[in-house]
Amino acid sequence: MIEIYHLYKQYAQNEFYALKDINLIIDRGEFIFVVGPSGSGKSTLLKLLLRETLPTKGNIKIFGRDITRLKNREIPFLRRNIGMVFQDFRLLSDRNVFENVAFSLRVIGTSPREIRKRVPLTLELVGLKDKAFKNPNELSGGEQQRVCVARAIVNRPAVLLADEPTGNLDPATSMEIMTLIQDINIRGTTVIVATHAKDIVDHFQKRVVVLENNQLVSDQERGVYFNAH
Amino acid sequence: MHIRSLLYFLGEALKSIVRNGWMSIASVGVVAITLLILGSFMVLSFNVALFTQDIKEQVQIVLYIDETSDEETKLELQRLLAAHRQLEEVRYVSKEEAMERLKQQLGDRAYLLDGYNAEENPLRDSYQLRTKIPEDIPIVANEIADYPGVGYLDYGKGVVEPLFQFTGLVRWIGLMFMTGLAVTAIFLIAHTIRLTVYIRRREIMIMKYVGATDWFIRWPFIFEGLILGLIGAVIPVIVIYYGYQAAVLWMQSNIYFIPLIPPEKIMEEIIKVIIPLGVVLGVLGSSISVRRFLKV
Repeated sequence: MIEIYHLYKQYAQNEFYALKDINLIIDRGEFIFVVGPSGSGKSTLLKLLLRETLPTKGNIKIFGRDITRLKNREIPFLRRNIGMVFQDFRLLSDRNVFENVAFSLRVIGTSPREIRKRVPLTLELVGLKDKAFKNPNELSGGEQQRVCVARAIVNRPAVLLADEPTGNLDPATSMEIMTLIQDINIRGTTVIVATHAKDIVDHFQKRVVVLENNQLVSDQERGVYFNAH
Repeated sequence: MHIRSLLYFLGEALKSIVRNGWMSIASVGVVAITLLILGSFMVLSFNVALFTQDIKEQVQIVLYIDETSDEETKLELQRLLAAHRQLEEVRYVSKEEAMERLKQQLGDRAYLLDGYNAEENPLRDSYQLRTKIPEDIPIVANEIADYPGVGYLDYGKGVVEPLFQFTGLVRWIGLMFMTGLAVTAIFLIAHTIRLTVYIRRREIMIMKYVGATDWFIRWPFIFEGLILGLIGAVIPVIVIYYGYQAAVLWMQSNIYFIPLIPPEKIMEEIIKVIIPLGVVLGVLGSSISVRRFLKV
């Protein structure tokens, strides 16, 4: 589903490589942790997958299509198939939970009828059925992250990317969020989580890809964070 | 564009106008003032045009034929005048006709001409010439002066030129003034939209992440500019309508001899110019901001 070949990324000429010679193949329905210290290139990798930035060298194929060759006007349609969860939630505080989730459907032209059907279903899935009409500011960190997850999956994307989704959460809440993301994966969504939370990686026993010094140094099925070093 | 998207864009634009409060009011204000000046200027110039049209049409060249020239020269002159492209009307006035006219003009005092008759006529044969464009009179007069058989020309030299110069000057000053105001209006709208883009940067970022197309992101801003421009155009139209009605009423009861264009008729012309111009100013202003500050 996602194929990465000899991927290099330099943000400016003559600068250091944020990513060096990355090769990675991710199958449909996989759950994969991308781990490594800050600055190891995790976020850059996610940015490349979302076509926020272009690689210096190499190819990225998603759904069999080389996304480095997409025209600008084709990018939105790639992103409609990829949900994104952020460390800082990025919710809109001028509207309620329902509208935050509905937002990602509205801006791609989904009909109001469809929105009224899908948003409650998604909120139920993330466990926020009762908080639909609350403002994000009235919610706890964990609940806000659930809204963010709901917004990312309401469009039923094939891939879910999460950049440090538990970075702002306490350990117990982190586990809950990761369990939610795992549930989404079980329902068929391919999940890529960039993190440096050791206990989470160790607990879930999924495929672990380790980035270090901007290179891919380890790729293990059912890996743990400890093994990476 | 889907009707649902259209409503969404309009809704977003209106929300943003309300949210930007003072900036929106300032933008609308400048557009309104610009167009109010333009509109008033139009009202004034239409009426002045109506008023001066008569005067202008009366401005003509009177060419007195040199009596000493022979028939051939006179025919040559007639041919040359008929062939002149800037002339609208060439009318021959014989001295007998001129005498008749003079008698009529003198009315009660026509007896002054009693001593004259067909044999004893001090007047001369002449041509009355009208140009297609009144402003061309001085130039045309200069050309014709060199024609054969011309005695002398009379076209109100020294009176006609300053009159035309003055109306030309007024037009230029007005045009420059309005251009300046239009640029200010565009600038202010661009600034308002830039503010909107800034306030909504978070929303725009999320829109990009969830796969909104670039145009979907841009349209609300374009609509915002359009609405600001439109409101800015409607205000002066209303002001001019009521203002002009009042002015017409006042004029009719005070300076009744000046002809005025009826309000309904003049508003047609005003609306045709002001409303599209407001929309253009608004869209232009927002386009500048959307292009420069909305990197989508």
